[in-house]
Amino acid sequence: MTWLRRRIRPEQIREFSLLLLIVVAVLIFGSAIDNYYTSRTFNRIASSVMIITVVAVGQTLVVLTRNIDLSVGSIVGCTAYVAGVRIAADNGLPAIVPVLIAVALGAAMGAINGVLVAWGRVPSIIVTLGTLAIFRGLLVDYSGARTVTTDSLPPWLVDLPRLDLFTLAGLHVKVMVALALAIVIAFQLATSYLTFARQFYALGSNPDAADLIGLPTRRIVLTAFVLSGALSGLAGFMTLARFGNITVEAGRGLELEVVAAAVVGGVNIFGGSGTVIGAMLGGVMIGTLEQSLLRLQINEFWRDAVMGLLILLAVASDAVILKRLRALWARADLEMIARSAPRTGEAP
Amino acid sequence: MREYVLAGAALLAVGMLSPGAHAQVKATPGKAENMVLLPKFLGILPFDQAHRGAEEAAAELKNPAKLQYLGPTPENSVAGQIEIVTNATTQGVNAIMISNNSGDQIVPAAKKAQAAGIKVVTWDSPIPSAEGEDVFVAQVDFTQTGRVMADMALKIMGPEGGKFAILSASPDAANQNAWIAAMQEALKDPKYAKLQQVGIVYGNDQSELSYNQALALVDKYPGIKLIMAPTSVGIVAAAKAMQDEGLCNKVKVSGLGVPKEMLAYTKNGCAPEFALWSFVDLGYLTYYTAYMLATGEIKAEPGQSFTAGRLGNYTITKDPTRKAGLRVLMGPFSIYDASNVEAAAK
Repeated sequence: MTWLRRRIRPEQIREFSLLLLIVVAVLIFGSAIDNYYTSRTFNRIASSVMIITVVAVGQTLVVLTRNIDLSVGSIVGCTAYVAGVRIAADNGLPAIVPVLIAVALGAAMGAINGVLVAWGRVPSIIVTLGTLAIFRGLLVDYSGARTVTTDSLPPWLVDLPRLDLFTLAGLHVKVMVALALAIVIAFQLATSYLTFARQFYALGSNPDAADLIGLPTRRIVLTAFVLSGALSGLAGFMTLARFGNITVEAGRGLELEVVAAAVVGGVNIFGGSGTVIGAMLGGVMIGTLEQSLLRLQINEFWRDAVMGLLILLAVASDAVILKRLRALWARADLEMIARSAPRTGEAP
Repeated sequence: MREYVLAGAALLAVGMLSPGAHAQVKATPGKAENMVLLPKFLGILPFDQAHRGAEEAAAELKNPAKLQYLGPTPENSVAGQIEIVTNATTQGVNAIMISNNSGDQIVPAAKKAQAAGIKVVTWDSPIPSAEGEDVFVAQVDFTQTGRVMADMALKIMGPEGGKFAILSASPDAANQNAWIAAMQEALKDPKYAKLQQVGIVYGNDQSELSYNQALALVDKYPGIKLIMAPTSVGIVAAAKAMQDEGLCNKVKVSGLGVPKEMLAYTKNGCAPEFALWSFVDLGYLTYYTAYMLATGEIKAEPGQSFTAGRLGNYTITKDPTRKAGLRVLMGPFSIYDASNVEAAAK
């Protein structure tokens, strides 16, 4: 038990149980739906989760710092549209250009959020609710009701969602899915091992303490928002590739799914705990449910209700189970200290 | 000269045939009427085309007051529409033209506008109860929509028929539900006996959900030969989904779509045929109707006939698709395929 406790943190138990839940869900759906265990189902879920996941990675960083970014859907829409207009105007542009445009524009929009939250001292929920509407409004104005259409895009971009990185036993691993996975791994490693990235956790766990020990709290918050914006920009490019037709409605309502993915994945809405991998698992759970419930063709309203129930369960389990687990871990640590304490006290 | 006589005779004949005692009224240009064109929301192509049509009519009628094109953002459609109607009432405009996206929630605001002497004309999507509305300018007859969709399905699937599914907007979208019902009614004709509809799914007019719903249809009904989507968002998403999955040879897509957005899929055979009406004409006719109501040249009552510029003659009738309300019917459909889609997309 002690060995286990030293090796594993309570958060990892949470992630492992989510993985288990996903397996259970797949088994249940597999018995209810014909031809469920096919590579096709896997591909469907992977493709539908990839965009949410990329945005959820950025959202995780923001939520870790006790903030929230509700403007991600609008950023995805704006970046998809602007990158689309640019590449439509000149099909000969190198592939990297639309990606850079989308990421840079997203980062700039994230910076606006970050500055307002960190230096303006306005609660992030207010700031990003405002920019959600402002960014979408600017897009409506800029677009002049023109749609980016598939036929105006270069063939490589339209075919990108179909492109496989490699095929393994009938599982087509798409380039865009692999890209999303690479981002998850990179950010997971960074937030685990890099000093600067650990500061997201430090700030979210105890802002006052972080300030006292001299962490650059404002810069950390700004960084989280800029990264969230940049990743939303990348997701905007992926949206452009996946759907081809981009209207001012692109990415609308995405913020709900993204926040849901992070929360279901164990990212604590009060900051300081949760992982990027967890957020991805949350996204996979939601994607699996969504795709499978579509296959079952159950009533529209029930599907939304199931989604809502899942979020409530996730938050409740966070409050009840994880708190107990943490207490268990903390008590064991205290006992260890207590056991070693008398020896030092006995030497008069 | 002979043409003039013929045209005159034709006009006379139409005048005599039209019900009621009203004569064909022509608009008097140059009157200053402040008018507001209000789409469901800003930023998508069909509404912009309607705006263009309304501007064309405004120029023809030499209305010295500038047309105001005001609309909410997509997030804020329902509340935003009500706000715009309320503001326009305070400003004291002469006519408001609404593509209603707020159901009957807009009724109190529309009634206040009418009480202030403002003419309220709906277009594209009416006020369901018709309260607070003078007249609805309908794009096409809903029964005809059903027949057009049934015909396209038959043409695409061929005489041997087969299974097809429907991808609609939202379960409570009034237009789509009426069109689907009209199509199911049309399918009872023995001509379509071999066409079998297997399911209806809803994409809520969101690209992502429509795309996933189209794929779910293919998984659930492996044998289907066609997805019929009577929504411009759904039809594009379904076509892209079939293309991405390499299924365009097996599953075709059809329905109601915007030529510019459908161009690529019609040319590559994923969506060989689809239909739509002209939103430019709809905006044009709506402007004429509202202008003539505002000037008092016509009254919103059944049997009232008028001439709407280049589109010709129209008559206000009772709306057969609602319990109450009046309607001006525009029509007809344009059917698009590889031969004409490119020209229409310009």
